[in-house]
Amino acid sequence: MNAVRALLLVVAVAATFISAQTNDTRPPIKIGFMVPLSGGNAQNGRDILNGFLMYLDEIGYRAGGRQIELIVEDDEAIPAVGLTKARKLVERDEVHVMAGALLSSTGYALAPYITSMKIPMVYPVVSADDLTQRRRSEWIVRTGWSGSQPNHAFGEYAYQKLGIRSVVTIALDYAFGWESVGGFERTFAAAGGRIRQKLWVPLSAHDFAPYLAQIPRDVDAVYALLLGRTALQFMRQYEEFGLKGRVTLIGGGTTTDEHVLPFMGDEAIGTVTALHYSAALDTPANKAFAATYRARFKKIPSYYSESMYTGGKWLIAAINAIDGRVEDRAALVEALRRVRPSDLPRGPMELDAYGNPIENVYIRRVERVNGELQNTVIDTFPRVSQFWTFDPDRYLSEPLYER
Amino acid sequence: MSGSPGTPCLQLERVSRHFGGLKAVDDVTLTVEPGARHAVIGPNGAGKTTLFNIISGEFPPSSGAITLDGRNVTKLKPHQRAALGVARTFQITRLFPELSVIDNVLLACAALDRRKFTMFRPLSSHGDFMERAGRLLDQFELSNVRDERARHISYGAQRRLDVALALAGHPRLLLLDEPMAGLSTPERVAMRGLLEQLDPSIAVLLIEHDMDVAFSFAARVTVLHQGKVLADGSRDEVSANELVQQAYLGGSVNS
Amino acid sequence: MAEPRATAPDWRLVVAGLGAVFLLAAPPFLSAYWVGLLTQVVILGILAMSLDLLIGYTGLPSLGHAGFFGVAAYGVGILSTTYQAGVVASIAGGFIAGTGLAALLGLIVSHVRDVYFLMITMALGMVLWGLSFRWIPVTGGDNGIAGIPRLETLIGLPATGPIPFYYLALVVFAACIVLMMVLVKSPFGLTLQGIREHEPRMRSLGFNTWLHGYLSYVCAGAFASVAGIMWAYYNGFVSPTYLDLTASSELFLMVTLGGPATLVGPVIGAGAIVILKNVMSAYTARWLLILGIVYIVTILWAPQGLWNLGRHRRS
Repeated sequence: MNAVRALLLVVAVAATFISAQTNDTRPPIKIGFMVPLSGGNAQNGRDILNGFLMYLDEIGYRAGGRQIELIVEDDEAIPAVGLTKARKLVERDEVHVMAGALLSSTGYALAPYITSMKIPMVYPVVSADDLTQRRRSEWIVRTGWSGSQPNHAFGEYAYQKLGIRSVVTIALDYAFGWESVGGFERTFAAAGGRIRQKLWVPLSAHDFAPYLAQIPRDVDAVYALLLGRTALQFMRQYEEFGLKGRVTLIGGGTTTDEHVLPFMGDEAIGTVTALHYSAALDTPANKAFAATYRARFKKIPSYYSESMYTGGKWLIAAINAIDGRVEDRAALVEALRRVRPSDLPRGPMELDAYGNPIENVYIRRVERVNGELQNTVIDTFPRVSQFWTFDPDRYLSEPLYER
Repeated sequence: MSGSPGTPCLQLERVSRHFGGLKAVDDVTLTVEPGARHAVIGPNGAGKTTLFNIISGEFPPSSGAITLDGRNVTKLKPHQRAALGVARTFQITRLFPELSVIDNVLLACAALDRRKFTMFRPLSSHGDFMERAGRLLDQFELSNVRDERARHISYGAQRRLDVALALAGHPRLLLLDEPMAGLSTPERVAMRGLLEQLDPSIAVLLIEHDMDVAFSFAARVTVLHQGKVLADGSRDEVSANELVQQAYLGGSVNS
Repeated sequence: MAEPRATAPDWRLVVAGLGAVFLLAAPPFLSAYWVGLLTQVVILGILAMSLDLLIGYTGLPSLGHAGFFGVAAYGVGILSTTYQAGVVASIAGGFIAGTGLAALLGLIVSHVRDVYFLMITMALGMVLWGLSFRWIPVTGGDNGIAGIPRLETLIGLPATGPIPFYYLALVVFAACIVLMMVLVKSPFGLTLQGIREHEPRMRSLGFNTWLHGYLSYVCAGAFASVAGIMWAYYNGFVSPTYLDLTASSELFLMVTLGGPATLVGPVIGAGAIVILKNVMSAYTARWLLILGIVYIVTILWAPQGLWNLGRHRRS
């Protein structure tokens, strides 16, 4: 009995000592975070989480004078599960702020709940255009991108700089694919280019032969918007079909993103894509980020990895800006829209009035450097808005990009 | 429903059934009078069970016509023939093994009643069903196992239950496919007793291997051989028939 | 009439009684999160019971059952957002969509049995999923439809939030379980079990077994629609994942885990899976593995499902 009492005493003293040392009078800031950690999207989810963990480590899990407690949940890439997890984080864990989500469907499903509960949330990846356009929420801040955003820039670039006049697109058949192709088509056609054909492939596609066989050989370029396994398979078959070297391959950034690039071979070399990030971006901030990330996680950071490093930096900057008073949620969300942390791996960024980043779009070409494939940045469109050069009101009165 | 006086209960006219090259039932013409006790005998493979399947509608004949009470039923499905009064038992007992004995009988009682579609009222609240099922259980000495699952009762009780199910719908024609098969001697005696007490207005067509049973139960006998009718007539005519003697009965009457 | 054999009070009675008391009395003392999980349990419980009508009673193993659930949910989602329909019209529309679809597809599927039934229902389920995914102008495609208003407000409950919605769902659940329990004890319900046990014998007794099988499919579709309507209001959005193959097979798992042909068993199965999923996944990303182990253990130790533990086994 005495031994137990003694032990309790020691624990009590130690606790007092520790709390005195950290000088925390306020309880920790609870951040709820969710991404898919199981199933087919787990790898991307893991990358996003890694970026966040890395940033939180850098700041020692402290912000605004308070300790940070991170609560991680797996949304399984199923919207209803995401909503259940959001409810758990908000109603049970009573988090002050939320971050995460990968898929647009989850993003859309969460939005009404986030809005009704008045919980500030950061979307680092979800790229569905309308989330910061016609269906935006004042409680959601996007630190990633909108699907059509880099493609507006890329459509123009393809016509003017790459000299491409006719294109066949081949893209995943869901909102992300439609918005990417839609954005590309809009500026490419406006410049004078012609989309000869749009091929849509199901997310479950295993064989691209039926699609590749439809591509006319006299077209200037093929625009591919793919992800993960489909991107790998497509690259291989593009070469097998004898298209590589004969028809220029361009595409959306995910097609050659670093989550798949290390698994590709020489067949990927020369592919030109557009995105707001490249692991090969030659800036001090990115070099430091990429080197640390590689050392810690033993792989090249993907755009997913960078997304929540930057998203985390953004969130922490906002918390610092209000001295950690996260209980004032309106102030927090206002700060999220106002702050402008510098030295981001992806370069300068600010948020527009709709909660979407204005950021650089990089034109990247796949090259082999020091034995490794990388997305070498060959051109930069600075400060690209989700509305490109169009008038926001007019843009929003037009329909969303569809098939 | 029932035909005019003198109309046979069941009439088969030149009915055949082929399975590929095999003529399982070959040009059979047969008449069963209302209330008749009629046996069909013949060696294994003579086509007796196939004949029953054709009568009950399990499958259609390749050619020929089937008439019930003067009505042509050749194209009708089993449940439609059951509605016209055809009931049968099976050589290998066909019960509802996971249901209780009483539920087995209740199902059979409900089969020809419109209330089988009643969805939101428990069956147990239908007093007349319960009463009729109770009477059948008493009649077939199954009351003591009424709540047992059908698969757990003795083989003899299962055979009796099979017959009780067939009788629950008040059939006009009852097809019994070897009801004695596999029974012990006391069970056979009991089953014979039950068969002899059947309502005389029901026409019974019986397949039986046991000649004693067939000839004592049935006034009329049809002998099938390789799918064809070898003989057809009163039991005395048939037992005196030379062809039958040669082909079938010779020496094996007491098998 | 003879009394059923006297037995000691079954543990099932005790568990069911405790469960009912818990569902009724516990929520005010639970956090909103747990109330939300219980709401999921009762809604998915309705869905699992509806599938049990098919699997357990009629003996038709459907792998596309989430289709009706999803179509009813889409009915509510589309009517209440795109068309701004009232609550009665939205609910009626969802119910008619799900049940009507079951009545239509039933014409196709109820001609086949066993593994063929499994395959054709799976195929139809995938067609429905494809439709929800591809018919973008109506369904919103992959993104689904969000912004379904709250049911508590629509029907004029004095309070909104997790607890009022929970009790609303519980009332619907209670009505469904009572209706289904009467249904399986009804003459019609017995005919379904007869089909499961021996369909040819049913035919020779005079049952048009096709019709009974078809009607059971429609009934199951109707109850699944009720669950789908509640699910749409619970989540406030609809998406193709409601009716994909994963949803249908998880549902299948709830029924087989809990015990087919018991109604209560599938509710327990739904409860076990919802709770396991949410509690386990807070601790490990490998919760699917744990669910798999639970399932294997159940198959080995209680092959007839949890609710049939200690009962006679079917050969």
